[in-house]
Amino acid sequence: MSTPDSKHDAPELGPLQRWFQAVITHGDGVEAGAAADEAQKLLGFKTGELDSVITRSRALTAAERLAIYANAYHTRLLECLGEVFPMLKRALGEDGFNSLAFGYLQEYPSRSYTLNELGRHFEGYLEQTRPALPDSASESVETQAPPDEASLSQDWPGFLIDLARLEWAIYEVFDGEGVEGKALLAADQVLSIPPARWAEARLKPVVCLRLVATQFPVNDYYTALRRASADDAIALPAAAPSFVALTRRNFIVRRYNLSRPEFELLKAFKSGRSVGEALDAVLSLPEVDLGTLPETLKLWFRNWTAEGFFETIQFDG
Amino acid sequence: MSDPRLGYPHLGLGVGLRTVHFDYILEHQPPVDWFEIISENFMDSRGRPRHVLTQIAERYPVVMHGVSLSIGSTDPLDFEYLKKLKGLACEIQPRWISDHVCWTGVAGRNTHDLLPMPLTEASLKHVVERIRVLQDYLERPFVLENPSTYVGFTGSTLSEWEFLARMAQEADCGLLLDVNNVYVSSVNHDFDPEEFIRSVPHERVVQFHLAGHTNLQTHLIDTHDGEVIDPVWKLYRLAHELTGGVSTLLEWDAKIPPFPVLHAEVLKARRHIGQELADVAMGGSGTVPESISQGRESPATSRDRLSGVPHPLHHLAAAVE
Repeated sequence: MSTPDSKHDAPELGPLQRWFQAVITHGDGVEAGAAADEAQKLLGFKTGELDSVITRSRALTAAERLAIYANAYHTRLLECLGEVFPMLKRALGEDGFNSLAFGYLQEYPSRSYTLNELGRHFEGYLEQTRPALPDSASESVETQAPPDEASLSQDWPGFLIDLARLEWAIYEVFDGEGVEGKALLAADQVLSIPPARWAEARLKPVVCLRLVATQFPVNDYYTALRRASADDAIALPAAAPSFVALTRRNFIVRRYNLSRPEFELLKAFKSGRSVGEALDAVLSLPEVDLGTLPETLKLWFRNWTAEGFFETIQFDG
Repeated sequence: MSDPRLGYPHLGLGVGLRTVHFDYILEHQPPVDWFEIISENFMDSRGRPRHVLTQIAERYPVVMHGVSLSIGSTDPLDFEYLKKLKGLACEIQPRWISDHVCWTGVAGRNTHDLLPMPLTEASLKHVVERIRVLQDYLERPFVLENPSTYVGFTGSTLSEWEFLARMAQEADCGLLLDVNNVYVSSVNHDFDPEEFIRSVPHERVVQFHLAGHTNLQTHLIDTHDGEVIDPVWKLYRLAHELTGGVSTLLEWDAKIPPFPVLHAEVLKARRHIGQELADVAMGGSGTVPESISQGRESPATSRDRLSGVPHPLHHLAAAVE
């Protein structure tokens, strides 16, 4: 076996592990990692002295061997983030996405035993950094509107943030708690609640119902990308307030576009408000036509119950 | 230790359970002897992965294989993780639980890689103490695997097989002997893989792993993306002879083929060790290939040359409509 270098005592396990981790996860490679303050404070070996810690092989230097772990670290986690945010990756292109994700991993390295948590802070990172439209994206992305590049650049971070929010919500619904195997409310059960009891009736949405509000119609964009072939350029949508409900049936995530009143009504149900309180909250919305509201409500409840949005009705008292 | 394999059963020839094969397995119920799952893919799942696992665990023997235990880390053992691991074990009743002799991160971070231990007396003491705590908590003997490694430490004073042998003896745990990892590390560190196989305590070997790897000329990477190559089969024959035969599992994690191809690959083991496995396997059958194909190392693509990603990559993509 190799013997410890005579210039240095064998480092203790704790500092050695922290040094190793600092070197292989450094954003500028292992040699920069070894020279950086963090590694220097831990072991103090300089780039040229890596052989004092890591043995050479017949074919590779110590730095080249460490680089195997460094490359694997970044490649593995970028691949994982790309699977969590597949449409964001398509929108940005592989290089654009990886560049953004690389910065994210430097800022938010994994602190969980599971890779399922890796993307949790990505939306927040985008809000924090508001990345500019990369040159490659401005060349490849077709836009419906706004047509001028200055406007597109201004809106670009908002679009990315919205798409990241939608994809993370999809990801959470997929493997979170669901209602498979449970009986859900039918339309008639909801529509038969007499108006006199609306004030005390509370509809309990299924645990997997998620409501997402965005500045851009990213759900339509998501659908368009899924239908397109990998090489198709999909137009970047114009900004327009958009609302989507996510749920899960038979272990597959379902997406439904909502109008603003639908979104607000469902949001009120999710917060525990009674049917009466929820209706009061939307009556003042400009999109609500009071004349047609009774028929509209029937239609909404039929659609929502058909999609399995509600689990039970509870009456106060 | 009174019983070989710590008293754990000989399950026959199994394969790693991967998401892409869920539908095939549920529909066809292939005659596989057993499945190994990646524990972390199911510990927190309340969706389809856990639902599918429950069905599979009702029909097949299952073993839980983890990648995030980090038994060698100097961070404290993560009891939140262990609680979930134990909870999953209570639910699906695995034949045993395993992980790797490695660390995955320190200072609260996780690199999601199987990082190498310096092979020293201090490391050995540290790992042994933690295995004892782990086994007390899980209330069962644990099984630990030799990982593929790509660096050695100048401070190491033990060979890897000495480290494993003493670790297993002193902690009274089992070994998962990954034959492909022995081969990969033997090339990367220039040691004799047969000496490794001959030197581990054979009565403590509970399980074998087989897998393909990628040859980058200057080193090998444990990519789990192809057939088992002949030198690895040769080591497997030796390991089988020395242990008397133990549960064998094929891992295939990248460029994953259709399930029948995967199953046929592990069934090649029968030709290498004789037909006696058919008698010990629990109802195992399946088609034995007419001839054993010449397994080849995966050629390195340009991407591999740049990155070379050793496994694990344990992650599930969402199903969306």
